[in-house]
Amino acid sequence: MDNRNTALVVEELHKYFGSEEVLKGISLEASEGDVIAMVGASGSGKSTFLRCINLLEIPTSGKIFVRGELIRMKQDRYGVTVPEDLKQVERIRTRLGMVFQQFNLWSHMTVLENVIEAPVHVLKMDKIEAIERAEELLHKVGIHDRMNYHPAHLSGGQQQRVAIARALAMEPDMLLFDEPTSALDPELVGEVLRVIRQLAEEGRTMIVVTHEMDFARDVSSRVVFLHEGSIEEDGPPGEVFNNPSSERFRQFVSKYVEQ
Amino acid sequence: MDYNVIIDNLPLYLNGLWVTIQLVVIALVSGFGLAVPLALMAVSKTSLLRFPAKTYIYFFRGTPLLVQMFLLYYGMGQFEAVRESVLWILFKEAYWCAITAFALNTAGYTAEILRGAIEQTPFGETEAAQACGMSKSTMYRRIILPGSFRRALPAYGNEVIFMLHGSALAGVITIVDLFGAAKIVNARYFVPFESFITAGFFYLCCTFCFVWFFKWVEKHWYAHLRPRIS
Repeated sequence: MDNRNTALVVEELHKYFGSEEVLKGISLEASEGDVIAMVGASGSGKSTFLRCINLLEIPTSGKIFVRGELIRMKQDRYGVTVPEDLKQVERIRTRLGMVFQQFNLWSHMTVLENVIEAPVHVLKMDKIEAIERAEELLHKVGIHDRMNYHPAHLSGGQQQRVAIARALAMEPDMLLFDEPTSALDPELVGEVLRVIRQLAEEGRTMIVVTHEMDFARDVSSRVVFLHEGSIEEDGPPGEVFNNPSSERFRQFVSKYVEQ
Repeated sequence: MDYNVIIDNLPLYLNGLWVTIQLVVIALVSGFGLAVPLALMAVSKTSLLRFPAKTYIYFFRGTPLLVQMFLLYYGMGQFEAVRESVLWILFKEAYWCAITAFALNTAGYTAEILRGAIEQTPFGETEAAQACGMSKSTMYRRIILPGSFRRALPAYGNEVIFMLHGSALAGVITIVDLFGAAKIVNARYFVPFESFITAGFFYLCCTFCFVWFFKWVEKHWYAHLRPRIS
């Protein structure tokens, strides 16, 4: 559609948990600079889909290309799909920054140590350089004054901003947000969304699984609506919110507008 | 009660104390060194690794320390093959028999403590490590083990004190540790109360030092759990 590079291509992704099919053949393409908001009811498979992209969940079948590179999969001797080359998976994961619903900061490390950990021990970056960059990032997410605190001494919103800084410290090609504000008290949601919005405005490629409809409407460049493991609606927010082609999406949105 | 006997024999007690400290420290350090790989094996998904570790832990937790020590000190000499091997350098002396038995024993208990701590690692922390591309070995080294050592600390502090008290068994196989010293004083002067209460006093002092040491470590390691006082 345009001349931007494709950042991610997902083809026919299926995922079973036991006999239950949670993803029923999802295909998605994201170009650089896309901000994709994934919405849908609980259990629609949106988090599972996101976690399949960096192989935190192993998809049962389907293809994932990150910047054109196929993540190679194979069947083990029990017929279960597994990554063919763990090194490749680890390398690709360094290019995909992930932010979790429960923040998942490393509790025994300070804020600064959390942010420099992966750059120093995975990318083998020089420690002094990593600290310098971490300080900049912590400034950016507005938590510079809490650099030497431990996660347990921070509010949820602060922890999530640290988690975003930790993901950014890897200089990823793409950011994956898994319901970044769902575990937060309502009054803390704003500070985290502001940071995510700022990242979107910088032109970063990201996929945000969210329940924040205002955020999806205002910030994303594309909205993808999942229902029972399939994509029901996919398009620019102005289009899908004003003129949804799917009745289910209309119902889903109206539920949120009422609230 | 006659404490002049004790004062006269103070050098014997102090020597015994020094031997006890050697036994306990060497056993604890080497036992811990053995416990870490054992614990990692015990949480492995590969049964070829898990099974030997579990068996080891089961055996050393399932039999009395005294029996283990007797097996090494009295039992090993029975086998010609052992007497002729390099192991005999170790097993012909009561001192090294005691240390080996203590180290193997504490390794079993410590491995079990660590195994529990490793399995309690919050799932999100390992997931975050995976998500930023950490290899398994880096994840164990940087995330799982440092967190597990902290979680294991209170239980391990207990194990250290048990080991200190268990070390009194060394006095049974001719070693003049604190308990051995007390036995000698009692045998010479027949003052059982004075001789053993003195040993008890020294054990109490050692326990106090260990407790204090672990408190100090906790203070440094548990900064992330302490409520922040503003």
